Amino acid sequence: MPLARLQMTAVSDPYAHTSDEALLLAYAKGDPRVAETLTLRLLPRILAQAMRMLADKTEAEDVAQDAMLRLWRIAPDWRQGEAQVTTWLYRVVANLCTDRLRKRRHVALDAVAEPPDSTPSVAAQMQTRARLRALSDALAQLPERQAQAVALRHLEGLSNPQIAAIMDISVTSVESLTARGKRALAAIMAGRKAELGYDNDEPT
Amino acid sequence: MTMTNPPDDMLDDLFAQARKVAPDPDDALVARVLADAARPQRKATPALPWLAQLRGMIGGWPAFGSLAAATVAGVWIGIAPPPAVEDYALSLLGDTVSIDLFADDFLTEAGEPADG
Repeated sequence: MPLARLQMTAVSDPYAHTSDEALLLAYAKGDPRVAETLTLRLLPRILAQAMRMLADKTEAEDVAQDAMLRLWRIAPDWRQGEAQVTTWLYRVVANLCTDRLRKRRHVALDAVAEPPDSTPSVAAQMQTRARLRALSDALAQLPERQAQAVALRHLEGLSNPQIAAIMDISVTSVESLTARGKRALAAIMAGRKAELGYDNDEPT
Repeated sequence: MTMTNPPDDMLDDLFAQARKVAPDPDDALVARVLADAARPQRKATPALPWLAQLRGMIGGWPAFGSLAAATVAGVWIGIAPPPAVEDYALSLLGDTVSIDLFADDFLTEAGEPADG
């Protein structure tokens, strides 16, 4: 029911020019309609961020739901003008994801599933999935702040000042975290190059 | 030395692939999120009575007992100091000072009523 209906309402979105914050405050005052608008606006980005960091659909969906739940809960206490809703959500999702990655560290690394011999496009899809899972597993091995900075910079494509606001640190710290994180990531991934098909030319 | 660095090329390619990941939330997930949103949320910060807040801060009822005992002991030592405490206070302060709490000149020190 909901997504299709939400998309229908989006066409005539009465809140098109209303900020996320204003909607959140309206939600806190008990306007149920705005919850749908907020969900439609925010959930896709949250889910994408979680999916990029975790490379696991079920886990990413749980994180996305959890992040939205925290948003609903903080709504009555939201302090106007203090932070942007999106900035706050980036931070919550990054934290929830590194929590998940930390738990993954203690589990034996999954053997990456071999692509079954089938059509090339399916094999390529499988390889992409295996690669992204390998990237996520490598992120799990980084210190959490490094993993968050690297993910926000390279998976979300955010600028250093944006990341600084999300992580509540200086731009210089962001630069140092991303540089160290990327180096560490490269070192971890170097060992899996052949396995992930980066020995040969890029299959496209 | 060339500009390209093989592991970084791999990483940059992986990052680019990851950035393309943009799944649409499926209906089940949207339904879960909206169900959470429909659940009544707390209206404001929990308004605990001050006594309950204090109790929470100092660690529950048992702490109140010790706190009360310590307070009573402190007040009693102030009113009727045992000789050892008096001697110690003397050696520390040089002299005992007594102040009549209800004397007019104390309440109106500096020319103004203290509670004014």
